[in-house]
Amino acid sequence: MTDASSPLTPAAENLDYRVAHLAEHLASGDCGELGVRLELRGDTVLLTGTVPSTQCRDDILRTAREELAGHPVHSDLLIAGTTSPDHGEDLT
Amino acid sequence: MIRVAAVGDIHMGPDSQGTLRPSFEKLPECADVLLLAGDLTRHGTPEEAAVVAREIKDLGVPVVAVLGNHDHHDERPEEVTAILRDAGAHVLEGQAAVVTSDGARIGVAGTKGFGGGFVGRCAGEFGEPLMKEFVRYTRRCADGLHGALKDLEEWNCDVRIALTHFSPVPDTLAGEPPEIYPFLGSYLLAEAIDTGGADLAVHGHAHAGTEHGMTSGGVRVRNVAQPVIGQAFHVYHLPGRSG
Repeated sequence: MTDASSPLTPAAENLDYRVAHLAEHLASGDCGELGVRLELRGDTVLLTGTVPSTQCRDDILRTAREELAGHPVHSDLLIAGTTSPDHGEDLT
Repeated sequence: MIRVAAVGDIHMGPDSQGTLRPSFEKLPECADVLLLAGDLTRHGTPEEAAVVAREIKDLGVPVVAVLGNHDHHDERPEEVTAILRDAGAHVLEGQAAVVTSDGARIGVAGTKGFGGGFVGRCAGEFGEPLMKEFVRYTRRCADGLHGALKDLEEWNCDVRIALTHFSPVPDTLAGEPPEIYPFLGSYLLAEAIDTGGADLAVHGHAHAGTEHGMTSGGVRVRNVAQPVIGQAFHVYHLPGRSG
C-alpha cells in the first residue's frame, strides 16, 4: 500500500541505490577498494574502514562526495598502520 | 622457539613504495620467516606486483606468500606470481614450502582459498552450473591445502603452518556483516587444516574482522589483514620440536 501523501522516490534519486552504485565504482576505481563500509545515517552517508594510503582515502572521499551530491558525506576512514610490533604473541 | 611474522591485505599501488620497507627491514631481529596472506596488490597488475617485489626483496628472512582475490583481478596471476618469485618469495597455490632458520624447518602449506560459508550457513554444490562451480572451486583449493599439509607431514618439519587468503573459520570474521560471511571464507579450508594437520593457520581478506580464532579441531587461526592488526606485521612465537 502506498501513502498518497509521500510519493515514492524516483529510482535515480534513491539514496540506497546511489550508495550501492558508489560501492561498485569504488571497487572498480583506481584504489580497487572493497573494504570501505558505506552506511546511511538518516540523510547522511558515513564512510568507515581502513585504506592503504592517504591518496586512496582522498580519492574515495572525492568520489563519494561527487556521486552523493546533495547528501552530507562523513568520513571516518583510517590509514593502515605501518609500524613494526614491539613484541610477539606467545603461542608456545 | 620459532618466530613467524605475517601480514595480509597490504594492497600496494604506485603510491605505496617504501611504506612497509622500513618495518620489514627489522624482520631479521624479530622473526624467522615472513608470511604474506594475499591481496598484496590492488588490481593484480604487474606494475603493482613490482612495487610489492621491491618491498620484500633481500629482507634477510624467507618470504612465503599466497595471492588474494585482488591479485587475480587483472587476470594475470601467473605474472604476479613470477614477479614475486623473482624477488625471492615462495608463492604457493596448493603447494608447500619448507624454509629453514637456525636449523629449524618451518613448513608452510598455502592456497588462496575461496568462499562458500560455514557449517549450517553455506553454499552447496547444487543447481546451476555457476553455483556448482563456485563450491567446486573452493573444494579444489581446500584439497590442494590438505595435500600440501600432508606433504609437510612427510618432510620432517618443526612446525607446520596453513597460509590462506580466505578465512577457514567464522571466528576471525567477527566485525564483518554476517550477510557477507559466505564471501569471506569456507569451512572446507578448516576441514583441510584439521585433517591435514597444522600448528597455526594464518589468513587475511576480512578487513573488519578480528585477529584471533580457532578451528573446531583446535588449530589456532590468526587474521593478519593489515587493517585488523594495524601494523606492518604481527609475530607469533611457536614452539619448535624440542619445545
